[in-house]
Amino acid sequence: MHQRKQLTILTHIVCIFFCLVILAPLAWIMLNSLKTNKEMFMDSLAFPEIPQFGNYVRAWNLGLYRYFGNSVLVSAISLAGILTLSSLLAYGLTRFQAKYANVIFFIVLGGMALSEQVALVPLFKILKFFRIYDTYGAVILPYIAFRIPFTVFLMRAYFLSIPKELEEAAVVDGYNSFQIFTKIIVPISSPVIASCAIVNLNFVWNEFLFANVFLNNKALQTIPIGLMTFKGDLKVDYTTTLAGLVIASLPLICLYVTMSRQFVRGLTSGAVKG
Amino acid sequence: MKNLMKKAAAILLAGTMILSLAACGGSAPQQGDGGNESSAAAADTAKSGDVKVIKFYHRFPDEPYNSFIEKKLHEYEETHQDIKFDIFAAQNQEYKEKVKIVVGGEDTPDIFFSWAGEFTERFIREGLILDLNPYFEADPEWKDSLIETQMDIYTNDDGMIYGIPFRLDAKVMFYNRDILEENEIEVPETWDEFIAACEKLKAAGITPISYGNQQQWPSAHYIGTLNQIFVSDEVREKDYNPSSGEFTDPGYVKALEYYQQLLPYMSDTPNAVLPDMARTSFAMGQSAFCYLELVEIPYLAMDNPDINYGMFSFPRVEGAEGNQDILTGAPEGFVISSKTKYPDECVEFLKWFLGKEVGTEQCMEIGWFNAAKDTTAGLTDQGLIDGYNTIISAASMSEWLDNALYSTVTDEYLTAVSDLTNGDATPEEVMQRIQVKAKEAQTLVGTGTAG
Amino acid sequence: MKTKKHTPYLYMLPGLIMVLCFVYIPVITNIGYSFFRLSSYSAGARFVGLDNYRRFFSSDVLPIMLRNNILYAVISLIVQVGFGTVMALVLESTLLKPGASAFYRNFYYIPALISLTAVGLMFTYIYDPSVGFLNGLLKIFGIPGKGWLGDSKLAIYCIIAMSQWQFTGYITLLMVVAFQNVPRDYVEAAAIDGAGPVKRAIHIMIPQAKEQLLVCTIITIIGAFKLYTEVYSTTAGGPGNSSQVLGLFLYQQAFLHDDLGMAAVTGVFIFVITVTLSIIQIRVTRSGQE
Repeated sequence: MHQRKQLTILTHIVCIFFCLVILAPLAWIMLNSLKTNKEMFMDSLAFPEIPQFGNYVRAWNLGLYRYFGNSVLVSAISLAGILTLSSLLAYGLTRFQAKYANVIFFIVLGGMALSEQVALVPLFKILKFFRIYDTYGAVILPYIAFRIPFTVFLMRAYFLSIPKELEEAAVVDGYNSFQIFTKIIVPISSPVIASCAIVNLNFVWNEFLFANVFLNNKALQTIPIGLMTFKGDLKVDYTTTLAGLVIASLPLICLYVTMSRQFVRGLTSGAVKG
Repeated sequence: MKNLMKKAAAILLAGTMILSLAACGGSAPQQGDGGNESSAAAADTAKSGDVKVIKFYHRFPDEPYNSFIEKKLHEYEETHQDIKFDIFAAQNQEYKEKVKIVVGGEDTPDIFFSWAGEFTERFIREGLILDLNPYFEADPEWKDSLIETQMDIYTNDDGMIYGIPFRLDAKVMFYNRDILEENEIEVPETWDEFIAACEKLKAAGITPISYGNQQQWPSAHYIGTLNQIFVSDEVREKDYNPSSGEFTDPGYVKALEYYQQLLPYMSDTPNAVLPDMARTSFAMGQSAFCYLELVEIPYLAMDNPDINYGMFSFPRVEGAEGNQDILTGAPEGFVISSKTKYPDECVEFLKWFLGKEVGTEQCMEIGWFNAAKDTTAGLTDQGLIDGYNTIISAASMSEWLDNALYSTVTDEYLTAVSDLTNGDATPEEVMQRIQVKAKEAQTLVGTGTAG
Repeated sequence: MKTKKHTPYLYMLPGLIMVLCFVYIPVITNIGYSFFRLSSYSAGARFVGLDNYRRFFSSDVLPIMLRNNILYAVISLIVQVGFGTVMALVLESTLLKPGASAFYRNFYYIPALISLTAVGLMFTYIYDPSVGFLNGLLKIFGIPGKGWLGDSKLAIYCIIAMSQWQFTGYITLLMVVAFQNVPRDYVEAAAIDGAGPVKRAIHIMIPQAKEQLLVCTIITIIGAFKLYTEVYSTTAGGPGNSSQVLGLFLYQQAFLHDDLGMAAVTGVFIFVITVTLSIIQIRVTRSGQE
């Protein structure tokens, strides 16, 4: 037992060490985001004389709020689209024994192996052709399409684990298949839907390639693109940039911290059960 | 039951369609929105049909330049009720990528920032740029009001004037007066004096030259200058033209060798240093020299108001074959799309925007000069005055190397010199790589869709 | 449930259409593009046969890119999947109380929530030779600093290290989830039989979580060949071409050099690699099962 206690302490030490590895760069960023450029340049490890909260105000006013609004809008619509279409697809795949379900599943799953880059140039031309280029739709539609495969993959596994009896009872009650979907499957699946939401939100919120190529208009650009504009060519305001990075990173972290329990539960009960 | 289900499914399908349509359609009216309040108004009045919307692309999204430009555009809108601007801005590298996508397409900007040289000439080959000659012929007074050496840069080999400068710029050596005085060093004029000065500074434990090449274009400014020194004008002209470029002249290798000579005196690992970091360390008195653009003068004081600096032109190499009277650097300006619906309005606007009146305010407010004559009357900052005089007294100017060459050749030049800087390639190897790309570029230009 | 034959397809259709329109059609079109020379600012296209392929495969940059992408894949497999799984086992072992385990798990996941561009910019500063965190830290210990992202030999490793920092916790989390799904009775039965924690991990936990492990491996490998944002936001491929990767090369060909045909070839190449690797992965795991 004594040995076990030592082992536990050792484990904690190791785990805390890795926490520090993760924390140190972030702490350094935060520290310097509160300095003047000169202070950072003189000694980036020292504490600021007076914390410069003005850096945060400046970063926000540099247009971060606009990028922020765009990111929220794009993420919300994409997420709604991804979850709706994927759950319907997974429902159709799992609850009917449809003849071609396997073929369709294979096609959708195959989408996981196709990367965004490969589609980039043709998508660019297609979007231009349909006049969707440089609108919110230019990123939302590809986001939805590219996230369906992985989401369906996660949801399908969960749907398969839902007992048949529930549905049979519902049919007796006179529910049609759509009602079964909305009244039974969706509520039962809320954990997996929640975790899919977070995984996809993570993708959509941070996506850079499509957003960089398909969104030209400053008024439409999302946060990852906005951050790159901080990287000027002749003059960079370092500390303001760092403040901007902190502001841009916080919302998702906060969201995760508050929702982490549902998230992990969803993955646990859903995920890959085979 | 079955019917109901069908209906439900149909509604659902319709729902998702609407969702996705809404996703793209909902934002459609905002297409081309410059991100300012005026666009809403522009959309409203556009319906009535008598407002001309001019799409305006520039590459100065940082402050105070962005505000200055927007302020001027809004002023113009007020005095010209029929004109509305739709503004777009992006940073240097990003701008280069973005502008190529839109020019020539459905939503081509009417007026856009474009670097002189190959960067614009590729569009000219496609017939996408408005020829300004007729307008200058119609208005000789306008032509006379602009500085000739600066206009030369925006004139191609066929004599077509395709752009008008917005800001003048050139590269000169900056030095820290205090450091040179403390170490009893005269301002160097020749290459040998310069190297001797560096040697002395290095021995005294001071970094002689601040240099940050992390973004690779700063090396192009050194190499561009050295190419002018070591390669004759005719040969360079031939090589910089993508359809005849070969880069076999030994002068190119020599230029790289001289660049190599400087490396021991430069900041450690220049490829790891951001260009503005290098300037900041110069401004903070951590080095003696820095090869900077004149447009960076305002930044020096921002970084450190107490810096005591001076400038001198790039050291001369005795007996070199090239042209040492060229001042490296080119003005940067705006061009008009040949596909614009309002060519006359665009020209009229640029006459004002890039003319004397705005130019005078421009140099007072943001410290940048345009190509109109006599704009500097109210100026007091000695650094800016020196910089301006350097430019207008230059016998001739040159395009920035990274904008003068075909894009793949530029790219190879930048990456190869970056390798050279790290000691991973020799000057001969660098030139071999460039020769290969230049040869390939000949075929790409000749047989591409450009025709 | 009695339903019409086509009902399930109505549910599947919208999603399927999206995937076909925006994933499959562009990918197939891309293959077609690879035989043409086309640019984004002129409308015409010219058939050039295999010329784009010839230029791609004779390019000096190709071996560098392949090396970098493979390096990224291998290191990520070792660190993210290998080490990440070990950490997951540690977190799920009985040594830690559930609260502590959840805390660590969530903590490790935080970097994965930060946008790639933000992480890229952060690490540009962290690796900066004069004001950077890393050299500052080394200085405290009296170790001379390095050029990091400016060093041709180190740049790609710096980028890879950054990714490990960001994504190891992500894989750890995914594996924790899989281990939580292993039925308790299996583990307890093994413990009663006298199997120690290491044995239990190897014989029970890992085999039970094999599918999740496969998913993590595929995600990691495919991710390695899609690598783009991390390099774009730090070195942009430099110094020289030393940190160039396929994804960035594709982007630069398309939007910097207007060589859409060359970009398409690069796309086809990435496509072939990722699809082949996925198939091999699945095959290998399947045959292990039998």
